[in-house]
Amino acid sequence: MNLRKYLTLTRAGIIESLQFRLSFLVMVIGNILYLIVVYFLWKAIYDSAETDIVNGMTFTDTLIYIVLASALFSFMEMYIVWEIGRSIQSGKIVLDLLKPMDYRRYLFWSYSGTFVSQFFLTFMPTFIAVSIATGGAIPLGMNLLYFAVSVVMSVSINYSIDFFTGTICLYTESIWGINIMKQVIVLLLSGATIPLAFFPEPLKTIMYYLPFQSIYNAPLSLLLDGNPEPQKVLITLGTQLLWCIVMLVISRVFWKISLRQITVNGG
Amino acid sequence: MPEIIEIKNITKEFKVLNRREGLKGSLKDLFSRDYKIVRAVDNVSLSIGQGEIVGYLGPNGAGKSTTIKMMTGVLEPTSGEILVDGNIPYRNRTKNAQNIGVVFGQRSQLWWALPLVESFKILKDIYRIPDENYNGMIELYRSLVDIDPLLHKPVRQMSLGQRTLSDILAAFLHDPKIVFLDEPTIGLDVSMKAKIRTLIHALNKEKKTTVILTTHDMGDVDALCHRIIIIDKGKMLYDNDIEHLKGFFGSYRTLKIRVGEDPEKQAEKIRAELPEFSVSADDEWISVLVDEEKAKVIDVLGQLQKTHNIRDMQLEEISTEEVIKKIYEEGVQ
Repeated sequence: MNLRKYLTLTRAGIIESLQFRLSFLVMVIGNILYLIVVYFLWKAIYDSAETDIVNGMTFTDTLIYIVLASALFSFMEMYIVWEIGRSIQSGKIVLDLLKPMDYRRYLFWSYSGTFVSQFFLTFMPTFIAVSIATGGAIPLGMNLLYFAVSVVMSVSINYSIDFFTGTICLYTESIWGINIMKQVIVLLLSGATIPLAFFPEPLKTIMYYLPFQSIYNAPLSLLLDGNPEPQKVLITLGTQLLWCIVMLVISRVFWKISLRQITVNGG
Repeated sequence: MPEIIEIKNITKEFKVLNRREGLKGSLKDLFSRDYKIVRAVDNVSLSIGQGEIVGYLGPNGAGKSTTIKMMTGVLEPTSGEILVDGNIPYRNRTKNAQNIGVVFGQRSQLWWALPLVESFKILKDIYRIPDENYNGMIELYRSLVDIDPLLHKPVRQMSLGQRTLSDILAAFLHDPKIVFLDEPTIGLDVSMKAKIRTLIHALNKEKKTTVILTTHDMGDVDALCHRIIIIDKGKMLYDNDIEHLKGFFGSYRTLKIRVGEDPEKQAEKIRAELPEFSVSADDEWISVLVDEEKAKVIDVLGQLQKTHNIRDMQLEEISTEEVIKKIYEEGVQ
Protein backbone atom coordinates (compact mmCIF):
# COMPACT_ATOMS: atom_id res chain seq x y z
CA MET A 1 0.00 0.00 0.00
CA ASN A 2 2.81 2.31 0.92
CA LEU A 3 4.63 1.54 -2.30
CA ARG A 4 1.65 2.64 -4.30
CA LYS A 5 2.20 6.35 -3.79
CA TYR A 6 5.68 5.94 -5.27
CA LEU A 7 4.69 3.72 -8.16
CA THR A 8 2.00 6.18 -9.19
CA LEU A 9 4.78 8.71 -9.77
CA THR A 10 6.70 6.19 -11.86
CA ARG A 11 3.60 5.59 -13.92
CA ALA A 12 3.04 9.31 -14.44
CA GLY A 13 6.67 9.71 -15.48
CA ILE A 14 6.36 7.00 -18.11
CA ILE A 15 3.24 8.55 -19.58
CA GLU A 16 4.82 11.99 -19.45
CA SER A 17 8.00 10.94 -21.22
CA LEU A 18 6.00 9.22 -23.95
CA GLN A 19 4.11 12.44 -24.66
CA PHE A 20 7.05 14.04 -26.35
CA ARG A 21 7.80 11.93 -29.39
CA LEU A 22 9.75 14.61 -31.17
CA SER A 23 12.19 15.23 -28.36
CA PHE A 24 12.76 11.49 -28.19
CA LEU A 25 13.59 11.42 -31.87
CA VAL A 26 15.99 14.34 -31.56
CA MET A 27 17.72 12.57 -28.71
CA VAL A 28 18.18 9.40 -30.73
CA ILE A 29 19.68 11.38 -33.61
CA GLY A 30 21.98 13.20 -31.19
CA ASN A 31 23.16 9.90 -29.77
CA ILE A 32 23.87 8.49 -33.22
CA LEU A 33 25.92 11.57 -34.13
CA TYR A 34 27.88 11.25 -30.91
CA LEU A 35 28.59 7.60 -31.67
CA ILE A 36 29.82 8.42 -35.18
CA VAL A 37 32.27 10.94 -33.77
CA VAL A 38 33.44 8.46 -31.16
CA TYR A 39 33.86 5.75 -33.76
CA PHE A 40 36.24 7.80 -35.87
CA LEU A 41 38.07 9.16 -32.89
CA TRP A 42 38.92 5.72 -31.56
CA LYS A 43 39.63 4.41 -35.03
CA ALA A 44 42.24 7.12 -35.41
CA ILE A 45 43.71 6.24 -32.04
CA TYR A 46 43.96 2.58 -32.91
CA ASP A 47 45.30 3.27 -36.41
CA SER A 48 48.12 5.36 -35.04
CA ALA A 49 49.00 2.74 -32.43
CA GLU A 50 51.48 0.10 -33.46
CA THR A 51 49.60 -2.83 -31.96
CA ASP A 52 46.02 -4.02 -32.27
CA ILE A 53 45.58 -4.11 -28.56
CA VAL A 54 45.90 -0.85 -26.65
CA ASN A 55 45.91 -1.01 -22.86
CA GLY A 56 44.58 -4.54 -23.00
CA MET A 57 41.56 -3.65 -25.13
CA THR A 58 40.97 -4.30 -28.82
CA PHE A 59 39.24 -1.75 -31.03
CA THR A 60 35.99 -3.72 -30.82
CA ASP A 61 36.23 -3.96 -27.04
CA THR A 62 36.69 -0.22 -26.73
CA LEU A 63 33.91 0.56 -29.13
CA ILE A 64 31.42 -1.73 -27.41
CA TYR A 65 32.37 -0.19 -24.10
CA ILE A 66 31.93 3.38 -25.34
CA VAL A 67 28.64 2.71 -27.12
CA LEU A 68 27.12 1.00 -24.11
CA ALA A 69 28.45 3.71 -21.81
CA SER A 70 26.71 6.36 -23.85
CA ALA A 71 23.50 4.31 -23.89
CA LEU A 72 23.77 3.95 -20.14
CA PHE A 73 24.35 7.67 -19.83
CA SER A 74 21.26 8.52 -21.84
CA PHE A 75 19.04 6.77 -19.36
CA MET A 76 20.98 7.48 -16.22
CA GLU A 77 21.27 11.24 -16.71
CA MET A 78 18.06 12.59 -15.24
CA TYR A 79 18.95 16.26 -15.13
CA ILE A 80 18.09 16.29 -11.44
CA VAL A 81 20.46 19.17 -10.82
CA TRP A 82 18.61 21.29 -13.35
CA GLU A 83 15.30 20.30 -11.90
CA ILE A 84 16.25 21.18 -8.34
CA GLY A 85 17.97 24.38 -9.41
CA ARG A 86 15.06 25.54 -11.49
CA SER A 87 12.44 24.80 -8.89
CA ILE A 88 14.51 26.71 -6.34
CA GLN A 89 14.77 29.70 -8.65
CA SER A 90 11.13 29.70 -9.60
CA GLY A 91 9.92 28.94 -6.09
CA LYS A 92 8.14 25.80 -7.26
CA ILE A 93 10.08 23.91 -4.63
CA VAL A 94 7.59 25.18 -2.06
CA LEU A 95 4.83 23.20 -3.76
CA ASP A 96 7.01 20.08 -3.86
CA LEU A 97 7.94 20.45 -0.22
CA LEU A 98 4.25 20.56 0.63
CA LYS A 99 3.61 17.09 -0.72
CA PRO A 100 3.12 14.59 2.11
CA MET A 101 6.36 12.88 1.12
CA ASP A 102 10.07 13.27 1.66
CA TYR A 103 11.37 15.58 -1.07
CA ARG A 104 14.34 13.39 -1.95
CA ARG A 105 12.10 10.41 -2.50
CA TYR A 106 9.43 12.44 -4.22
CA LEU A 107 11.91 13.68 -6.78
CA PHE A 108 13.46 10.27 -7.32
CA TRP A 109 10.16 8.58 -7.95
CA SER A 110 8.95 11.42 -10.13
CA TYR A 111 11.92 10.73 -12.35
CA SER A 112 11.86 6.96 -12.16
CA GLY A 113 9.33 6.84 -14.99
CA THR A 114 11.62 8.59 -17.46
CA PHE A 115 14.18 6.12 -16.36
CA VAL A 116 12.10 3.07 -17.12
CA SER A 117 11.05 4.34 -20.51
CA GLN A 118 14.62 5.39 -21.40
CA PHE A 119 15.92 1.99 -20.42
CA PHE A 120 13.58 0.27 -22.82
CA LEU A 121 13.72 2.89 -25.55
CA THR A 122 17.45 3.65 -25.59
CA PHE A 123 19.52 1.17 -23.69
CA MET A 124 17.83 -2.04 -24.79
CA PRO A 125 17.80 -1.24 -28.55
CA THR A 126 21.43 -0.10 -28.41
CA PHE A 127 22.41 -3.22 -26.52
CA ILE A 128 20.66 -5.51 -28.99
CA ALA A 129 22.05 -3.62 -31.98
CA VAL A 130 25.61 -3.77 -30.65
CA SER A 131 25.20 -7.39 -29.76
CA ILE A 132 24.11 -8.32 -33.28
CA ALA A 133 26.54 -6.00 -35.07
CA THR A 134 29.57 -7.37 -33.26
CA GLY A 135 28.50 -10.94 -33.88
CA GLY A 136 28.16 -11.99 -30.27
CA ALA A 137 31.13 -10.15 -28.83
CA ILE A 138 29.01 -9.43 -25.77
CA PRO A 139 28.78 -12.57 -23.66
CA LEU A 140 25.24 -13.56 -22.65
CA GLY A 141 25.19 -15.44 -19.38
CA MET A 142 25.40 -14.81 -15.67
CA ASN A 143 27.05 -11.49 -16.49
CA LEU A 144 23.61 -10.09 -17.44
CA LEU A 145 22.37 -10.75 -13.93
CA TYR A 146 25.42 -9.14 -12.35
CA PHE A 147 24.96 -6.21 -14.67
CA ALA A 148 21.30 -5.78 -13.68
CA VAL A 149 22.14 -5.74 -9.99
CA SER A 150 25.02 -3.39 -10.64
CA VAL A 151 22.94 -0.92 -12.67
CA VAL A 152 20.39 -0.58 -9.89
CA MET A 153 23.18 0.49 -7.57
CA SER A 154 24.67 2.77 -10.23
CA VAL A 155 21.35 4.54 -10.48
CA SER A 156 21.25 5.02 -6.74
CA ILE A 157 24.81 6.36 -6.52
CA ASN A 158 24.26 8.63 -9.51
CA TYR A 159 21.07 9.99 -7.99
CA SER A 160 22.76 10.67 -4.67
CA ILE A 161 25.53 12.60 -6.40
CA ASP A 162 22.99 14.56 -8.45
CA PHE A 163 20.88 15.30 -5.43
CA PHE A 164 23.92 16.42 -3.49
CA THR A 165 24.93 18.74 -6.33
CA GLY A 166 21.39 20.04 -6.62
CA THR A 167 21.35 20.83 -2.92
CA ILE A 168 24.34 23.13 -3.44
CA CYS A 169 21.99 25.26 -5.59
CA LEU A 170 20.13 26.18 -2.42
CA TYR A 171 23.18 28.23 -1.47
CA THR A 172 24.39 29.48 -4.81
CA GLU A 173 21.01 30.09 -6.48
CA SER A 174 22.71 29.41 -9.80
CA ILE A 175 22.79 26.09 -11.56
CA TRP A 176 24.74 26.24 -14.75
CA GLY A 177 28.33 26.21 -13.56
CA ILE A 178 27.72 23.68 -10.86
CA ASN A 179 25.94 21.35 -13.21
CA ILE A 180 28.65 21.53 -15.84
CA MET A 181 31.32 20.89 -13.25
CA LYS A 182 29.47 17.89 -11.89
CA GLN A 183 28.95 16.49 -15.36
CA VAL A 184 32.59 16.81 -16.36
CA ILE A 185 33.80 15.23 -13.14
CA VAL A 186 31.34 12.36 -13.29
CA LEU A 187 31.75 11.63 -16.99
CA LEU A 188 35.54 11.67 -16.85
CA LEU A 189 36.14 9.91 -13.55
CA SER A 190 33.43 7.32 -13.99
CA GLY A 191 34.83 5.94 -17.22
CA ALA A 192 31.81 7.04 -19.22
CA THR A 193 33.81 8.77 -21.96
CA ILE A 194 37.15 6.97 -21.76
CA PRO A 195 37.55 3.42 -20.44
CA LEU A 196 39.41 3.38 -17.16
CA ALA A 197 42.09 1.13 -18.69
CA PHE A 198 43.37 4.13 -20.66
CA PHE A 199 44.17 6.25 -17.64
CA PRO A 200 47.73 6.44 -16.31
CA GLU A 201 48.53 4.25 -13.37
CA PRO A 202 48.46 6.60 -10.32
CA LEU A 203 45.25 8.27 -11.54
CA LYS A 204 43.63 4.89 -12.13
CA THR A 205 44.29 3.87 -8.54
CA ILE A 206 42.81 7.11 -7.25
CA MET A 207 39.77 6.61 -9.44
CA TYR A 208 39.14 3.17 -8.00
CA TYR A 209 38.88 4.77 -4.59
CA LEU A 210 36.32 7.36 -5.73
CA PRO A 211 32.59 6.71 -6.00
CA PHE A 212 32.35 7.73 -9.66
CA GLN A 213 33.78 4.57 -11.22
CA SER A 214 30.95 2.66 -9.55
CA ILE A 215 28.47 4.44 -11.80
CA TYR A 216 29.67 3.47 -15.29
CA ASN A 217 32.82 1.40 -15.07
CA ALA A 218 31.46 -1.14 -12.60
CA PRO A 219 28.32 -2.27 -14.45
CA LEU A 220 30.03 -2.19 -17.85
CA SER A 221 33.03 -4.23 -16.76
CA LEU A 222 30.66 -6.80 -15.27
CA LEU A 223 28.64 -6.88 -18.46
CA LEU A 224 31.57 -7.30 -20.81
CA ASP A 225 33.34 -10.00 -18.85
CA GLY A 226 32.15 -13.44 -20.02
CA ASN A 227 33.41 -15.53 -17.13
CA PRO A 228 34.54 -13.28 -14.32
CA GLU A 229 36.20 -14.61 -11.20
CA PRO A 230 33.62 -14.70 -8.41
CA GLN A 231 36.02 -12.68 -6.30
CA LYS A 232 36.05 -9.85 -8.82
CA VAL A 233 32.24 -9.79 -9.00
CA LEU A 234 32.03 -9.70 -5.25
CA ILE A 235 34.53 -6.87 -4.94
CA THR A 236 32.87 -4.81 -7.65
CA LEU A 237 29.36 -5.20 -6.28
CA GLY A 238 30.57 -4.80 -2.70
CA THR A 239 32.31 -1.53 -3.54
CA GLN A 240 29.16 -0.31 -5.24
CA LEU A 241 27.01 -1.22 -2.28
CA LEU A 242 29.38 0.61 0.02
CA TRP A 243 29.24 3.76 -2.11
CA CYS A 244 25.49 3.41 -2.40
CA ILE A 245 25.12 3.62 1.37
CA VAL A 246 27.78 6.26 1.89
CA MET A 247 26.44 8.59 -0.80
CA LEU A 248 22.88 8.05 0.31
CA VAL A 249 23.73 9.06 3.86
CA ILE A 250 25.85 12.02 2.77
CA SER A 251 23.25 13.42 0.38
CA ARG A 252 20.42 12.93 2.87
CA VAL A 253 22.28 14.60 5.71
CA PHE A 254 23.43 17.48 3.53
CA TRP A 255 19.85 18.03 2.35
CA LYS A 256 18.49 17.92 5.91
CA ILE A 257 21.02 20.47 7.10
CA SER A 258 20.48 22.71 4.08
CA LEU A 259 16.73 22.58 4.33
CA ARG A 260 16.94 23.58 7.96
CA GLN A 261 19.08 26.46 6.88
CA ILE A 262 16.37 27.48 4.45
CA THR A 263 13.48 27.17 6.88
CA VAL A 264 15.42 29.19 9.42
CA ASN A 265 16.91 31.86 7.20
CA GLY A 266 14.44 31.89 4.37
CA GLY A 267 15.15 31.30 0.73
CA MET B 1 -16.08 26.93 16.70
CA PRO B 2 -12.92 24.88 17.45
CA GLU B 3 -9.67 26.63 16.61
CA ILE B 4 -7.68 25.09 13.81
CA ILE B 5 -4.84 27.56 13.51
CA GLU B 6 -3.32 29.09 16.59
CA ILE B 7 -0.54 31.63 16.23
CA LYS B 8 1.04 33.38 19.18
CA ASN B 9 3.47 36.26 18.79
CA ILE B 10 5.33 34.92 15.81
CA THR B 11 8.20 36.86 14.38
CA LYS B 12 10.24 35.98 11.34
CA GLU B 13 13.56 37.57 10.57
CA PHE B 14 15.64 37.08 7.45
CA LYS B 15 19.33 37.64 7.06
CA VAL B 16 19.94 39.58 3.88
CA LEU B 17 23.30 40.38 2.40
CA ASN B 18 23.92 44.10 2.02
CA ARG B 19 24.56 44.43 -1.69
CA ARG B 20 26.89 47.10 -2.95
CA GLU B 21 26.68 48.96 -6.21
CA GLY B 22 28.71 48.52 -9.36
CA LEU B 23 31.23 45.95 -10.48
CA LYS B 24 33.63 46.68 -7.65
CA GLY B 25 30.81 46.37 -5.15
CA SER B 26 29.67 43.07 -6.64
CA LEU B 27 33.19 41.69 -6.35
CA LYS B 28 33.37 42.80 -2.74
CA ASP B 29 30.01 41.16 -2.09
CA LEU B 30 31.52 37.78 -2.93
CA PHE B 31 33.48 37.93 0.30
CA SER B 32 31.15 40.09 2.31
CA ARG B 33 29.78 39.03 5.66
CA ASP B 34 27.85 42.24 5.96
CA TYR B 35 24.29 41.10 6.67
CA LYS B 36 21.32 43.09 7.76
CA ILE B 37 18.36 41.61 9.54
CA VAL B 38 14.99 42.14 7.91
CA ARG B 39 11.92 41.54 10.00
CA ALA B 40 9.31 40.18 7.60
CA VAL B 41 6.71 39.29 10.22
CA ASP B 42 6.63 41.16 13.47
CA ASN B 43 4.86 39.78 16.51
CA VAL B 44 1.69 38.55 14.85
CA SER B 45 -0.94 36.64 16.83
CA LEU B 46 -4.13 35.23 15.47
CA SER B 47 -6.40 32.26 15.71
CA ILE B 48 -8.64 30.87 13.03
CA GLY B 49 -11.61 28.58 13.57
CA GLN B 50 -12.64 25.49 11.67
CA GLY B 51 -14.65 26.34 8.57
CA GLU B 52 -13.86 30.05 8.44
CA ILE B 53 -12.96 31.91 5.27
CA VAL B 54 -10.42 34.52 6.18
CA GLY B 55 -9.17 37.20 3.84
CA TYR B 56 -5.52 37.89 4.43
CA LEU B 57 -4.68 41.24 2.94
CA GLY B 58 -1.79 43.58 2.65
CA PRO B 59 0.29 45.31 0.02
CA ASN B 60 3.12 43.50 -1.78
CA GLY B 61 5.96 42.64 0.55
CA ALA B 62 3.81 43.03 3.65
CA GLY B 63 4.70 39.60 4.98
CA LYS B 64 1.66 37.66 3.81
CA SER B 65 3.54 34.89 2.01
CA THR B 66 5.99 34.57 4.86
CA THR B 67 3.15 34.01 7.32
CA ILE B 68 1.57 31.45 5.01
CA LYS B 69 4.89 29.67 4.54
CA MET B 70 5.18 29.43 8.31
CA MET B 71 1.68 27.98 8.57
CA THR B 72 2.50 25.39 5.93
CA GLY B 73 5.79 24.49 7.60
CA VAL B 74 8.16 25.61 4.86
CA LEU B 75 9.58 28.31 7.12
CA GLU B 76 10.35 28.16 10.79
CA PRO B 77 9.46 31.22 12.84
CA THR B 78 12.32 33.05 14.55
CA SER B 79 10.24 33.23 17.69
CA GLY B 80 6.69 32.57 18.78
CA GLU B 81 4.38 29.59 18.67
CA ILE B 82 2.36 28.20 15.83
CA LEU B 83 -0.05 25.28 15.86
CA VAL B 84 -1.95 24.01 12.84
CA ASP B 85 -4.51 21.38 13.75
CA GLY B 86 -2.44 20.51 16.80
CA ASN B 87 0.79 20.12 14.81
CA ILE B 88 3.84 22.31 14.83
CA PRO B 89 4.09 22.68 11.05
CA TYR B 90 7.86 23.03 10.58
CA ARG B 91 8.54 20.02 12.81
CA ASN B 92 6.00 17.73 11.15
CA ARG B 93 5.93 19.14 7.66
CA THR B 94 4.95 15.86 6.03
CA LYS B 95 2.17 15.22 8.51
CA ASN B 96 0.97 18.79 8.22
CA ALA B 97 0.98 18.49 4.43
CA GLN B 98 -1.71 15.83 4.68
CA ASN B 99 -3.98 18.39 6.39
CA ILE B 100 -3.52 21.29 4.04
CA GLY B 101 -4.00 22.19 0.42
CA VAL B 102 -2.34 25.07 -1.38
CA VAL B 103 -2.95 27.07 -4.52
CA PHE B 104 -0.45 29.66 -5.63
CA GLY B 105 -2.07 31.76 -8.33
CA GLN B 106 0.99 31.93 -10.53
CA ARG B 107 2.18 28.33 -10.21
CA SER B 108 0.55 25.04 -10.82
CA GLN B 109 1.04 21.88 -8.84
CA LEU B 110 -0.49 19.82 -11.63
CA TRP B 111 1.42 17.57 -14.00
CA TRP B 112 1.91 19.83 -16.93
CA ALA B 113 1.96 17.26 -19.72
CA LEU B 114 -0.78 14.99 -18.39
CA PRO B 115 -4.56 15.20 -18.62
CA LEU B 116 -6.14 16.56 -15.44
CA VAL B 117 -7.61 13.21 -14.47
CA GLU B 118 -4.10 11.70 -14.33
CA SER B 119 -2.97 14.46 -11.97
CA PHE B 120 -5.99 13.68 -9.81
CA LYS B 121 -5.09 9.99 -9.77
CA ILE B 122 -1.52 10.76 -8.76
CA LEU B 123 -2.73 13.01 -5.95
CA LYS B 124 -5.16 10.29 -4.91
CA ASP B 125 -2.27 7.87 -4.43
CA ILE B 126 0.12 10.38 -2.90
CA TYR B 127 -2.41 11.53 -0.30
CA ARG B 128 -3.75 7.99 0.02
CA ILE B 129 -7.34 9.03 -0.57
CA PRO B 130 -9.72 6.04 -0.27
CA ASP B 131 -11.65 5.22 -3.47
CA GLU B 132 -14.94 6.10 -1.86
CA ASN B 133 -13.85 9.60 -0.83
CA TYR B 134 -12.19 10.21 -4.17
CA ASN B 135 -15.30 9.26 -6.13
CA GLY B 136 -17.45 11.31 -3.79
CA MET B 137 -15.23 14.31 -4.34
CA ILE B 138 -15.34 13.95 -8.12
CA GLU B 139 -19.13 13.73 -7.93
CA LEU B 140 -19.21 16.87 -5.82
CA TYR B 141 -16.97 18.66 -8.34
CA ARG B 142 -19.23 17.53 -11.13
CA SER B 143 -22.21 19.07 -9.39
CA LEU B 144 -20.39 22.38 -8.91
CA VAL B 145 -18.56 22.92 -12.16
CA ASP B 146 -18.54 21.45 -15.60
CA ILE B 147 -15.39 19.37 -15.15
CA ASP B 148 -15.89 16.65 -17.72
CA PRO B 149 -14.40 18.62 -20.63
CA LEU B 150 -11.44 19.49 -18.39
CA LEU B 151 -10.68 16.01 -17.08
CA HIS B 152 -9.18 14.70 -20.29
CA LYS B 153 -7.42 17.85 -21.32
CA PRO B 154 -3.65 18.11 -20.74
CA VAL B 155 -2.91 20.90 -18.30
CA ARG B 156 -0.55 22.64 -20.71
CA GLN B 157 -3.40 23.15 -23.16
CA MET B 158 -5.66 24.79 -20.62
CA SER B 159 -6.41 28.48 -20.42
CA LEU B 160 -5.26 30.29 -17.30
CA GLY B 161 -8.79 30.24 -15.93
CA GLN B 162 -9.25 26.51 -16.49
CA ARG B 163 -5.86 25.83 -14.97
CA THR B 164 -6.62 27.88 -11.86
CA LEU B 165 -9.94 26.12 -11.51
CA SER B 166 -8.21 22.76 -11.83
CA ASP B 167 -5.58 23.76 -9.30
CA ILE B 168 -8.25 24.69 -6.80
CA LEU B 169 -10.02 21.37 -7.33
CA ALA B 170 -6.69 19.58 -6.88
CA ALA B 171 -6.01 21.41 -3.62
CA PHE B 172 -9.37 20.33 -2.18
CA LEU B 173 -9.14 16.75 -3.47
CA HIS B 174 -7.76 15.10 -0.35
CA ASP B 175 -10.35 16.91 1.75
CA PRO B 176 -7.80 18.92 3.72
CA LYS B 177 -8.82 20.81 6.82
CA ILE B 178 -7.24 24.01 5.60
CA VAL B 179 -6.72 25.39 2.11
CA PHE B 180 -4.41 28.29 1.43
CA LEU B 181 -5.29 30.28 -1.67
CA ASP B 182 -2.66 32.77 -2.72
CA GLU B 183 -4.14 35.21 -5.23
CA PRO B 184 -6.31 32.62 -6.95
CA THR B 185 -8.06 35.08 -9.23
CA ILE B 186 -4.98 36.92 -10.47
CA GLY B 187 -5.11 37.60 -14.19
CA LEU B 188 -8.59 36.17 -14.72
CA ASP B 189 -11.55 37.74 -16.49
CA VAL B 190 -14.69 38.76 -14.66
CA SER B 191 -16.81 35.70 -15.41
CA MET B 192 -14.01 33.30 -14.46
CA LYS B 193 -13.45 35.23 -11.24
CA ALA B 194 -17.13 34.84 -10.40
CA LYS B 195 -17.00 31.12 -11.19
CA ILE B 196 -13.99 30.58 -8.96
CA ARG B 197 -15.52 32.54 -6.11
CA THR B 198 -18.70 30.46 -6.30
CA LEU B 199 -16.64 27.30 -6.32
CA ILE B 200 -14.57 28.27 -3.28
CA HIS B 201 -17.70 29.30 -1.43
CA ALA B 202 -19.46 26.02 -2.23
CA LEU B 203 -16.49 23.86 -1.25
CA ASN B 204 -16.11 25.71 2.02
CA LYS B 205 -19.77 25.22 2.80
CA GLU B 206 -19.91 21.59 1.75
CA LYS B 207 -16.68 20.36 3.32
CA LYS B 208 -16.33 22.85 6.20
CA THR B 209 -12.84 23.55 4.94
CA THR B 210 -11.04 26.48 6.46
CA VAL B 211 -9.94 28.81 3.70
CA ILE B 212 -7.21 31.38 3.99
CA LEU B 213 -7.34 33.71 1.05
CA THR B 214 -4.64 36.14 0.04
CA THR B 215 -5.69 38.62 -2.57
CA HIS B 216 -5.43 42.13 -3.89
CA ASP B 217 -8.92 41.99 -5.31
CA MET B 218 -11.52 43.50 -3.01
CA GLY B 219 -14.14 41.69 -5.09
CA ASP B 220 -12.83 38.36 -3.82
CA VAL B 221 -12.96 39.60 -0.28
CA ASP B 222 -16.48 40.96 -0.66
CA ALA B 223 -17.76 37.75 -2.18
CA LEU B 224 -16.14 35.30 0.20
CA CYS B 225 -14.80 36.55 3.49
CA HIS B 226 -16.57 37.36 6.73
CA ARG B 227 -13.40 38.16 8.48
CA ILE B 228 -10.31 39.88 7.24
CA ILE B 229 -6.83 40.32 8.54
CA ILE B 230 -4.67 43.12 7.25
CA ILE B 231 -0.94 43.10 7.59
CA ASP B 232 1.58 45.70 6.52
CA LYS B 233 5.33 45.85 7.02
CA GLY B 234 5.06 42.65 9.03
CA LYS B 235 2.71 44.10 11.60
CA MET B 236 -0.93 43.23 12.02
CA LEU B 237 -3.13 46.26 11.39
CA TYR B 238 -6.59 44.83 11.50
CA ASP B 239 -8.35 41.61 12.42
CA ASN B 240 -12.10 41.76 12.49
CA ASP B 241 -15.39 41.42 10.63
CA ILE B 242 -15.58 42.70 7.15
CA GLU B 243 -18.73 44.67 8.07
CA HIS B 244 -16.62 46.63 10.45
CA LEU B 245 -14.20 47.53 7.71
CA LYS B 246 -16.94 48.47 5.26
CA GLY B 247 -17.13 51.78 7.08
CA PHE B 248 -13.68 52.43 5.76
CA PHE B 249 -14.10 51.53 2.17
CA GLY B 250 -17.70 50.56 1.46
CA SER B 251 -18.81 54.11 0.89
CA TYR B 252 -15.71 55.24 -0.92
CA ARG B 253 -15.30 55.36 -4.68
CA THR B 254 -12.43 56.74 -6.66
CA LEU B 255 -13.55 59.03 -9.43
CA LYS B 256 -10.90 59.45 -12.08
CA ILE B 257 -11.17 62.18 -14.68
CA ARG B 258 -9.03 63.36 -17.53
CA VAL B 259 -9.03 67.06 -18.26
CA GLY B 260 -6.31 67.57 -20.83
CA GLU B 261 -3.25 69.76 -20.19
CA ASP B 262 -1.37 69.90 -16.93
CA PRO B 263 -3.30 67.66 -14.54
CA GLU B 264 -1.26 68.85 -11.53
CA LYS B 265 -2.44 72.40 -11.95
CA GLN B 266 -6.03 71.34 -12.57
CA ALA B 267 -5.93 69.12 -9.50
CA GLU B 268 -4.89 72.13 -7.48
CA LYS B 269 -8.06 73.92 -8.60
CA ILE B 270 -10.26 70.92 -7.86
CA ARG B 271 -8.73 70.64 -4.43
CA ALA B 272 -9.92 74.16 -3.77
CA GLU B 273 -13.37 73.41 -5.11
CA LEU B 274 -13.80 70.17 -3.18
CA PRO B 275 -12.04 70.64 0.14
CA GLU B 276 -13.76 67.67 1.79
CA PHE B 277 -12.27 65.02 -0.55
CA SER B 278 -8.69 63.97 -1.15
CA VAL B 279 -7.50 64.74 -4.66
CA SER B 280 -4.40 63.42 -6.34
CA ALA B 281 -3.01 63.54 -9.86
CA ASP B 282 -0.62 61.59 -12.05
CA ASP B 283 0.54 62.26 -15.62
CA GLU B 284 -2.90 61.72 -17.07
CA TRP B 285 -5.58 61.25 -14.50
CA ILE B 286 -6.92 63.21 -11.58
CA SER B 287 -8.30 60.99 -8.84
CA VAL B 288 -10.92 62.16 -6.40
CA LEU B 289 -11.68 59.87 -3.48
CA VAL B 290 -15.40 60.43 -2.94
CA ASP B 291 -17.11 59.51 0.31
CA GLU B 292 -20.58 58.61 -0.86
CA GLU B 293 -22.05 59.31 2.54
CA LYS B 294 -21.15 62.95 2.03
CA ALA B 295 -21.92 63.39 -1.64
CA LYS B 296 -23.00 61.27 -4.59
CA VAL B 297 -20.34 60.57 -7.20
CA ILE B 298 -22.73 61.76 -9.88
CA ASP B 299 -23.15 65.12 -8.14
CA VAL B 300 -19.41 65.55 -7.80
CA LEU B 301 -19.02 64.76 -11.46
CA GLY B 302 -21.75 67.22 -12.35
CA GLN B 303 -20.11 69.92 -10.33
CA LEU B 304 -16.72 69.27 -11.91
CA GLN B 305 -18.21 69.29 -15.38
CA LYS B 306 -19.38 72.86 -14.96
CA THR B 307 -15.90 74.16 -14.40
CA HIS B 308 -13.71 71.67 -16.28
CA ASN B 309 -13.63 70.20 -19.70
CA ILE B 310 -13.81 66.48 -18.83
CA ARG B 311 -12.67 64.29 -21.70
CA ASP B 312 -12.81 60.93 -20.04
CA MET B 313 -13.81 59.41 -16.73
CA GLN B 314 -13.49 56.18 -14.74
CA LEU B 315 -15.02 54.94 -11.53
CA GLU B 316 -13.08 52.58 -9.32
CA GLU B 317 -13.72 50.70 -6.11
CA ILE B 318 -11.31 51.63 -3.40
CA SER B 319 -8.26 49.35 -3.58
CA THR B 320 -6.70 47.36 -0.77
CA GLU B 321 -3.80 49.73 -0.78
CA GLU B 322 -6.10 52.67 -0.24
CA VAL B 323 -7.97 50.88 2.55
CA ILE B 324 -4.68 50.23 4.27
CA LYS B 325 -3.62 53.82 3.75
CA LYS B 326 -6.86 55.01 5.29
CA ILE B 327 -6.47 52.66 8.23
CA TYR B 328 -2.99 54.01 8.74
CA GLU B 329 -4.13 57.57 8.57
CA GLU B 330 -7.28 57.34 10.62
CA GLY B 331 -6.82 54.28 12.83
CA VAL B 332 -9.41 51.60 13.39
CA GLN B 333 -12.51 52.29 15.38
